[in-house]
Amino acid sequence: MKKSIFILALLLLSSAGFANEAYQKAMSQSIEKLFQAKTIPEYVEVANQFERISQIEKAEWLPLYYASFAYIMISFQEAENTKKDLYLDLAQKYLDQAMAIEANESELFMLQGFLYPSRINIDPINRGMALVGKMNAALDKSLELNPDNPRVYYLRATMTANMPEAFGGGAAKALPLYQKAAEKFQSFKPKTELSPNWGKEMNDAELGKIMESIAK
Amino acid sequence: MRSILIISVFILISANSFAQALLSGKVTDSQNNPLPGANVFIQNSYDGTTSDSIGNFSFKTSQKGIQNLSASFIGYKPFLRKLDLDSSKTITLNIVLLESDDQIDEVVINAGSFEASDEKKAVVLRVFDIATTPSAQGDIFGALGTLPGVQKVGEDGRVFVRGGEGYETKTFMDGMLVASPYTSKMPDMPSRGRFSPLLFSGTLFSTGAYSAEYGQALSSIVDMKTNSIETEEQSSLSVMTVGLMGSTTRCRKNSSLSLSGDLLTTALSNKINRQQVDWTKSPVTADGTIMFRQKAGETGLYKLFGTFNTSSSGMIYPNIQTGTNQDILLNSSNIYLNNTYNSQLGEKWMMKSGLAFNYDHQNIDLDKDRIITNQKMVQAKIGFSCFLNEQTELKFGADWVNFSYEQKIRMDGNFRLPFTNNELSGFAEMEYKLTKKFATRLGFRAENSSLLNGTTIVPRFSGAYKTGDHSQISLACGEFYQNPENDYLKFAPQLKPEKANHAVMTWQYLTELKTFRVEGYLKKYNNLVKFTEQMTTNPLDYNNLGTGHAEGVDIFWRDKETFKLTDYWISYSWINARRNYKDYTMAAVPTFVSEHNLSVVYKRFLPVLNTYASLTYSFASSRPYHDPNLSGFMNAKTQQYNDISLSLTYMLNFFGKQSALHLMLNNVAGFDNVYGYNFSNTPNAAGKYESTPIRSPFVRQAILVLNIML
Repeated sequence: MKKSIFILALLLLSSAGFANEAYQKAMSQSIEKLFQAKTIPEYVEVANQFERISQIEKAEWLPLYYASFAYIMISFQEAENTKKDLYLDLAQKYLDQAMAIEANESELFMLQGFLYPSRINIDPINRGMALVGKMNAALDKSLELNPDNPRVYYLRATMTANMPEAFGGGAAKALPLYQKAAEKFQSFKPKTELSPNWGKEMNDAELGKIMESIAK
Repeated sequence: MRSILIISVFILISANSFAQALLSGKVTDSQNNPLPGANVFIQNSYDGTTSDSIGNFSFKTSQKGIQNLSASFIGYKPFLRKLDLDSSKTITLNIVLLESDDQIDEVVINAGSFEASDEKKAVVLRVFDIATTPSAQGDIFGALGTLPGVQKVGEDGRVFVRGGEGYETKTFMDGMLVASPYTSKMPDMPSRGRFSPLLFSGTLFSTGAYSAEYGQALSSIVDMKTNSIETEEQSSLSVMTVGLMGSTTRCRKNSSLSLSGDLLTTALSNKINRQQVDWTKSPVTADGTIMFRQKAGETGLYKLFGTFNTSSSGMIYPNIQTGTNQDILLNSSNIYLNNTYNSQLGEKWMMKSGLAFNYDHQNIDLDKDRIITNQKMVQAKIGFSCFLNEQTELKFGADWVNFSYEQKIRMDGNFRLPFTNNELSGFAEMEYKLTKKFATRLGFRAENSSLLNGTTIVPRFSGAYKTGDHSQISLACGEFYQNPENDYLKFAPQLKPEKANHAVMTWQYLTELKTFRVEGYLKKYNNLVKFTEQMTTNPLDYNNLGTGHAEGVDIFWRDKETFKLTDYWISYSWINARRNYKDYTMAAVPTFVSEHNLSVVYKRFLPVLNTYASLTYSFASSRPYHDPNLSGFMNAKTQQYNDISLSLTYMLNFFGKQSALHLMLNNVAGFDNVYGYNFSNTPNAAGKYESTPIRSPFVRQAILVLNIML
């Protein structure tokens, strides 16, 4: 009898293990797909996968994080402003749901800071003033929660690079920021295998471009 | 034992892996167009897929029994269907998704109204636009002056809409009445709105035929929506050539508290900007505002808005009517409190309730005479809305306003002119969306006044039809009543409410970045107050025999797309209006009406200078006035009105703080605008009635503001 209880316990444990394994597997496959996606349909497909995962794993913020990230990436590619806003509404919805699960996660505030520029670009003259402050507040909060979040440094560097020189921006001003971000990426260790770990390649590419133009 | 267990485990696993059902089909919209990219899956499982480029989907599931199949796609309502996965190994089904209601291309009832909002995506004006319109000088009502249908009446400052007087525009805050929205004014000088545009997240401005929810307004309503719960803690300080202003916001999880205050004095500004007024005391104003928001439960939100204001000023007024220079001293104070509580009641019901209080005190010393006016208003309001089904929304509510007025006059003796009115109103309104393209709204409003001793019941109707992806045609009409102005009621409480009929037709083209609107209207006035002599104290001299009409066309064009970093809008209004009211001897164009009004607002960001620049040009054709030296009535016209105003906002770092420097320049070209003339009551020795022109207190005005985020 003792034995059978033991086996039963083992069985229960392993089935929990199966569920966890299924989550791990579904997530790692989807994350891989996400960073290979190039077109809007590819992003939509992978966003749908994350949405499906999120409706089972109700305690996990990561599926929602990646679904939101996918829709922000879509908004960069979408040409029509009205649609862009719809995609960003969806990105915001998933991000809000993720925040409701995990209120103090540096990566979620970073993603909020990553979402705003896309909103601003739709109508910079009218949205700029209201949203730039909110964007900065989100990034500040992200750094407060994790002073070494390399993605925040990367985003700040990119924004500086895209700002006109008279505004305190430009490639020269952005260079040290990209270098600082590169340092942060170097020492960054994601909390888990599934945790956000993107941006290094993008940062290296931007850094390379600036170095090249300086070399000329 | 052990082996049995192992075997049963194997059976379980194998049952899972071998008995899979195949689901396939197609996702389309209601017109049978394929929808690629839809998420199709079994709820609470990983099993699912995305529809392909022609809307097809196919996936296997190992789930058993009755399961929910879900399908979702951006811009469409989620689809849910129960499936019995045991019934068959292959299930084929076609999924038809319905477009969601909050899509931008759905018809919206909007004839006669302009909405400024931060929430809705496609709106005509944003709150930020109001704050940065140069000719408005940060005044909400001033900014509304750049919209079509609004007359330029420079000596008044209130909003005159479509042949209506300033008092015919009523102001609301979160649906509650604001009894005295403007600052007290000196003779022939403009008043301003009491509230900063930064306190509001949206404004609904209707120039006619508004919903049955709004009553006691003949021409127009302005409903300002206050900010919701603040999520950012911040403080700011502004140093201005006209005073100091500070604000701070504190946030908790479910509540926020904002405090702001200012002390304004034009002493310095009046020296910088040459004045056409002889001030004995430069205007000084102190304001304090408190805003508190508290979430209650899932959907409840309590809002408190309170403001206190006190001001004083003095001037020498050359009163040509009496031929004397009058020493006028004006002291005023105002308290406004607004509490609202909104909550959802179940899935289909919404409740909105509110309690508002307004106290306004004004003391005018005119040489040795004194006029004290006290006004008190208490309002309680409750409203419900219910979504009967997908197409139908029902709204109804009740509203009680207690208003008491008292004027004490010390002028060759003591006089007291008090009156109290209890106004009880109810409304019901149904909005019905026949299709996504066609919507109608029918409402009724009943009002009962204790003072005017009567009940009025009026209908309101509007409809809208979508003519294209971005265009629609709307129609609205209705009857409107408003009690006569306090200045008449205090003498003659037997007067009846004044009445107006509106009919409005609009065609609109609206995208995210471009708006074009053309609106035609007809307006008829009845029961307007008429009398034989201004300020006559005999109640029998007042009657309701006045009439009037107005018709016109308003055109609005806004474009944020064509020019880079540029946003501009153009408003043009043509109006034909006549009135026979007050002491008019015949029907005539009233003094506040100019046939043509034009506003051009141009805003541009200049990255090189790190500056945001705005320019406004305003034009109004000449206005009529009565010259007693000529024969006939309303026999003369003023010159045209022109104004060019400019504002520059320069973003800078001020000792490490994010700051902005604003420079506002009014009437930069120095046009000498004359709004009309005051005439002497008696002719001079040569038999001529002498006159003085009515002008702005200043020709040009410059205001500098440094705003520092702390």
